[in-house]
This record gives sequence, structure tokens and C-alpha cells, in this order.
Amino acid sequence: MPNGMNGSLTYKKIDSLSDDFAAYLRETLKLKAGARVAVQMPNCLAYPIVAFGVMKAGLVLVNTNPLYTAPEMSYQFADSGAEVLVVIDMFADRLPAVLPKTKIKTVVTVKISEFFPPIVGGVIRLVQKVWSRTLPKVTVPHTKFQAALAAGRKAKSPNKADSYVKGITSDSIAALQYTGGTTGVSKGAMLSHGNLVTNTLQLITMCGSFMRPGKETVITALPLYHIFAFTINLLGFYHIGGRNILVPSPRPPSNLRRAFENYKVTWLTGVNTLFNALLNETWFTDSPPKQLRASAAGGMALHESVSKKWREVTGTPIVEGYGLTESSPVLTFNPLGGKGKDGTIGIPVPSTEILCVDEKGKEVALGEAGELIAKGPQIMLGYWEKEAETSNALKKGFLYTGDIATMDKDGYFTIVDRKKDMIIVSGFNVYPNEIEEQIAAVPGVTEVGVIGMPDDKTGEAVVAYVVAGLPAPTEEQIIAHCKKELSAYKAPKKVVFVDELPKSPIGKILRRQLRTGEIEKSKATTGKGA
Amino acid sequence: MFNSMILMAEEVANEATVVNEFEQTLLRIFILIIMFGLGAGLTPKDFGLALRRPWGLIIGWLTQFGVMPLTAYILIVAVLFPFSMDENIAFIALGALIMGAVPAGTTSNLFTYFSKGNLALSVMMTINSTLWAFIMTPLMLFIYANFLSLDDTITIEFTELATVIVGLIIPVALGMLVRRLSANAGSVLELIGGLFGVLFIPFLIAIWVPRNWQLLLNTEWPTYVVAIGLGLVGITVAFWIAKAIGLHPANVRTIALETGIQNGPLAIAVIVAVYIDSPGLDKILLVPALYSLFIVLISTAVTFVFRRANLAAEQKIPNLL
Repeated sequence: MPNGMNGSLTYKKIDSLSDDFAAYLRETLKLKAGARVAVQMPNCLAYPIVAFGVMKAGLVLVNTNPLYTAPEMSYQFADSGAEVLVVIDMFADRLPAVLPKTKIKTVVTVKISEFFPPIVGGVIRLVQKVWSRTLPKVTVPHTKFQAALAAGRKAKSPNKADSYVKGITSDSIAALQYTGGTTGVSKGAMLSHGNLVTNTLQLITMCGSFMRPGKETVITALPLYHIFAFTINLLGFYHIGGRNILVPSPRPPSNLRRAFENYKVTWLTGVNTLFNALLNETWFTDSPPKQLRASAAGGMALHESVSKKWREVTGTPIVEGYGLTESSPVLTFNPLGGKGKDGTIGIPVPSTEILCVDEKGKEVALGEAGELIAKGPQIMLGYWEKEAETSNALKKGFLYTGDIATMDKDGYFTIVDRKKDMIIVSGFNVYPNEIEEQIAAVPGVTEVGVIGMPDDKTGEAVVAYVVAGLPAPTEEQIIAHCKKELSAYKAPKKVVFVDELPKSPIGKILRRQLRTGEIEKSKATTGKGA
Repeated sequence: MFNSMILMAEEVANEATVVNEFEQTLLRIFILIIMFGLGAGLTPKDFGLALRRPWGLIIGWLTQFGVMPLTAYILIVAVLFPFSMDENIAFIALGALIMGAVPAGTTSNLFTYFSKGNLALSVMMTINSTLWAFIMTPLMLFIYANFLSLDDTITIEFTELATVIVGLIIPVALGMLVRRLSANAGSVLELIGGLFGVLFIPFLIAIWVPRNWQLLLNTEWPTYVVAIGLGLVGITVAFWIAKAIGLHPANVRTIALETGIQNGPLAIAVIVAVYIDSPGLDKILLVPALYSLFIVLISTAVTFVFRRANLAAEQKIPNLL
């Protein structure tokens, strides 16, 4: 909790409680093997019990973002055919609108303060109820988590527990991990037990001696419902017997202060935004965590300026990896310990084959940009009940990522851009990321989004949307900077200053919306001129 | 801390009965719980940082003993002397000068905490200014009294200052210890301390006003200006000085409150100790008594402003993944 209140569970306790939960699902609720259980909660102590309980019961975990709106929830629950929902009580008020559209028969509610010492838990409940008013009345029939565990405890037996996983192989589905919500219809990637286990081991291998069994303390500020934190923080650090500090919400970043003060943190995983945010907090930079040994970034590009500053401030390595939900997620990783290359996503993890291919699926020459495709034991089985989408993404065992990358002579990959965001200026391929990175370096630029727009002379022209801070830069300064640092055709033709850039719920700039907005705007201007 | 103030203000200015034992004890317990709780929010590292970057402490020292006595002096010369009809004006002025020259007290720590300031810096500034008060308070008073031809000097008993420091250090240190032993116990304590802090303010007013309302009616407006202005100007000027120097916003808020909020009870205790036989004792106590009430109101208002500023400055990051 942001104020330092905490609860903790031992490995032994989680083992026994997840047995209870597995028994609850199979005995009390009489779920059949392979049934889907949706889980929707922020990081909290109930999460590992539920996640491992579902797997021990031979069922399928459907991780769900707790910030989803009712329609998003309805879609995901209906699509996955989930029969049980384990949900944090804080968000249970959306359920009346959601449940009728799904096959969910049982709702289990979880408290954020589950497994906290009684007085502390009571204080948190009181604050939630009286002060922050974040506890809506749950109007649908539901079972409380502790009651579910108690029921499971009564029903469980070792023989039954073995029967739950009979017939479960490494190719059985362990989780439906939904993805692609911002670009199109959300799809459930079928991740098998084998996918998750191998990816966990692949990652641990890449970290080498930086992940010492039984000695690491990791802060999990990223949500566990996302595949990044799920595989790396939960499975990875669980496997090596680490201590996991679960943070329900890292927003605002000062929420992490007490966690860093109260524990000897050795590891941090995060996204560029989180590392950057911490570097902007004086409490963090004034006394960076002394025991920190390494940090891993993923999810989005880690800016070189951020990684450089992180190393300066903390004196510890930070490396970037790359992956997709469809690949459990890690495909490439920079080896920790001296051989990492900033700005790259590293080398393929063990047993993984990665190629850059052209539009015909032919491998491009070394150093040239092509779509990154990957094959390995961590690649998903396919999309849940989406044949067409699956055959689009998986061809001959290769996962087509839609990301454009290059490989250098040492085998390190660099993401150039998303395939669909590429701009073609007079026949030259221009990747918005490269230009955004340059513009972001101009003093006074807070945020930038670069897109292509139709142009009579060059086919497409580069347009930059800039959110300016103080002192605000001028259009000329930005264009001049780009012309100095980049080939002339890559420099923006136009710079538009805006108050805000359209962003996805996770903070990625939505270039698609910029494009459609731009077209409308230029239409309006043309109309006025005519 | 405040018990002596209430006791004296009441006894002298209102000529009513003594504040009862129960209330005194209650106030003492209040302060103890508050400081204990606030201490539980701190770590030794916080103090280390304030020491490692002593700018805050130095600026705070300068504003504490530079801005406050000067403000008192200017208010006396510009408002009190030209406009007051009171024949005992010299005694009132003396009280105002003493009020300006004393160090900060525990109240400033509480408001710094609520303002999301740097509590470690606040506690260290209080200790620092209290230690310096041994020399600086008599010196400042001597200088400005000379300017005003009041020809007065005071001495401060070491025990008075020691009481302040010990009463601050012990509960804070205990609070820190509790947090170290159990983060949960620490945060529960902190929550309780904060809660008592919130209750403390209306409680103080509730005790002060019924006993001293006569004082509020009888006092001339120039005296009000001095008593209210001292805290208000002190907070404002210290705020802008610290801001101009480019200190971190949390430290700016801390220095502003730490400077503007003086140790009212200490001023009253000193006055009573030194001037107990003076015919003007009640007039000397006038500004300190009024100041002690109004500073609580001013600080509460300032705290709301500071909290809003802090919230606005908090980093806004999107959902991570």
C-alpha cells in the first residue's frame, strides 16, 4: 500500500491456499477440466493463490484488466466463455451490466487487503469505505474469497488434486491472454503450460547470475494480469524463490516510495514510462535503492536517454527485452552483465529462431529492415476460436509480429517501427519512431507523435504533432534539428502544436487517431479555401 | 506545548480561572500522539538527506531569524505605532518583537506534514532554530528593541529550550523505531497521528475562543494587523525566498511554514518568566496570545493551498500496460 501497510504470504501458505482454491473450483463449483476462470484484480495477495489455484485445478486462466469498461468486460468474458469470475470488490459495480451477456455463473469477490493483519486490513477497509469511497455495494450474488477458500479446504484431498491435472500436458491451454484491444478486435492468445514454463526458463537463463535463487526481492509495479509481469515477476521470481513486493497501483509514482524505503529491493521490472517517472521523483534520485542489482524493461521501447540516466542514478544495469502476448511474452532479451546494447531489444532467448523478412516472407539482408518473425517453444497455440486471425499470425510455425526490425552483425535486433505506421516519402521508408526520438531530444518538447499524410509531391509527407512544455520550441527549431540529425527526407514537413496527443489506455500514442484527425483537419482547411 | 499558552493567556488576559487539569493533560497527550505518529512516517535516511543538502536548513535559519524579527519590527513601525491609541503601546510592541524572535515549534511540523512538505527538514529546522534561539532570540530582541528605544533585554532559560527539543526528539525517534520494527504498525500509528492532528486544530480553537473572546472584542485593529500579519507575511516572504533560490517545492513549503509558524507557547513562557512582575505583563502577552490563535487559522488555509499545489505537481503517468 502507498502508506506502507502490508500483508505477506509464504510459499508454503500460497501452496496450500491455492490447493484450497483449486478444490473449490472443481469440487464446490463442479467445473470441468478446461473450463475458463476469469480473473480481474490489481496486484494483491489473492492473485497468486487464484492464478495457481486455477492451474492446479486443470482450468484455464483468463486474465482481465480491472480498468476495463463494462462493454470490454462483457466481450472478453463472453468470448472466452468464462464460467467463473474472480473480481476485486472495488470494481464489482459493473457486474449487473456485464453478467447477463456472459456465461458466468459464479462471482467470487476479493478484497485488496486480503491476508493483511486483521487491524491493518480493518483500517484499509474503513478508509476505503468512509474516506475514499471505493467500495461499491455488490448487487449480484457472490461468494467472498475467504468463504470460497474455506469451502475448498473442506472438499480437498490429495487424490482429487492429482486427478485435476491428469491429462494436462505441456500443450494444454493454461491461459487465455487477451491482446490487440487498441488496434482491432481483442483476441485471446492461447498460452499453453509449456509456453509459460519454457518462457520462464528462457528468461531466467538470460539473466544468469543476476537472478540468484532465494536471494532476490522484486518490486512488481506492473499489473500481473499483463503477460509481462505475469511471466517475469510472478512465474520467474516464483521459480527462483524470490520475494515479490506486489504494488496495487504505481500511480502516482510516489506510491512506490514506501516500498523502496521498507524493503531491500534488488530487482525492478517496468516499462519506459515507469523508469522515467521514477527518475523524475526526487525521493528516488536522492537516495536510489542501495541493494538494487538489475532492472528489466519491456512493453514499449526503452529510450536511450532513460536507460543512460537510470544507470547513472542507480549504478545498476537496465536492459530491454522484447516480446508479445502471443509469445508468452519474451522473444529477445539483452543479456545482463556487460554485453547488452542500448537501443536494441537484444538477442533471441534460447531455443528461439528470429528472422527479419520482406513482404513475401523472404529473409532480408543483414542490417536491412524487415518484419520480425519468431519460432520457439514460447509461441502461442493460436487465437481462441479465431481461425482466420490465427492463420494470419502463425505461418509455418512462425509468429508474424507486425513489427519492423533490423539485425546487426552480432545478432542484436532493433525495432524500427510497427509495420502499419511506416511512412513512404518519395519511395523511401520512414519510420516514425526514429523521428520521434530526435524530436523528443529538442528542449521543450514534452511529447511527440509522428505520422505520414498524403502529399501531392512526395506521396506521403512527415507530420509531427508536438506537445510543448516551457520554453516552447518553434516549428523551425524542430525541423532544423531533424535536418541536422537525419536524412533530409525524414525531417517533418510540418509541425503541429497540440495540447494533448491521443493515447491508448496504456499510454501508447495512437498514431491512427492522429492520422484520421489529420485528414479531417486538412479537409476542413481545403473546404474553407474553396 | 500549548497548555502553557492557554493557561497564561487565560490567566493574565482574561483573568478567569486556570485551564483545568484534564484539558492540559489532554493537550499534552495530543501532541505526543501526533509527534509519535509523524515520526513513524520518517526514516533516518530522510534526516541524512536534509543534512547532506543543508541549503534548506541554512535558508530556514536565515528566514527564521532574519525575516520574522524584521517583519515584527516593520509591522510595529508601520502599523502599530502610527495607528494605535493604546497607552501601553510599548508593551504591546515588546510582545510582538518577542513573538518575532522566538524559534519554531511543533505546530509547524504538523502543518508541514499535512502540506506534504519535507517533514524531516521541518523537524530538523525546529531543532536547529530552537538551539540557536539561545543566542539569536535575545540578540534579535536586543537589536530591534534598541531601534525602537524600548531598552529591553531578555534571557532564555536553557530548560525551556531543552524541553522543546526533548519533547520533539523522543516521540519522533520512537515513532521511527516502531516503523523500523514493523511497517504496518508504523503506518497505522502515522494514520492515528494524522487523525489526532486534524482534531487538534478545532480542539485548540474550541479551548481558546470561549476563554479569550473578550480579548478579541477589546483589541484594537492595529494589534490585530501585527498579530495576524506576522505569520502571514512570514510564510509568504519565506515562501518566495525559498522558491527564488530554486529549492524543491516540498522544501519551499516546509521553509514557509517553519518560518511563519513560531513557537507561541515558548514566547508566552519566556514572557511570563521574565516579566512576571511587570505592570505591563498582560499587554506584552497580547500579541503572542492573538498570534497563537490566528496562526492556526492561517496555517490551515495555507495547508489547503499547498496540498492542492502538491497534487497538481504530482507526476501523472498513464496506466502501465
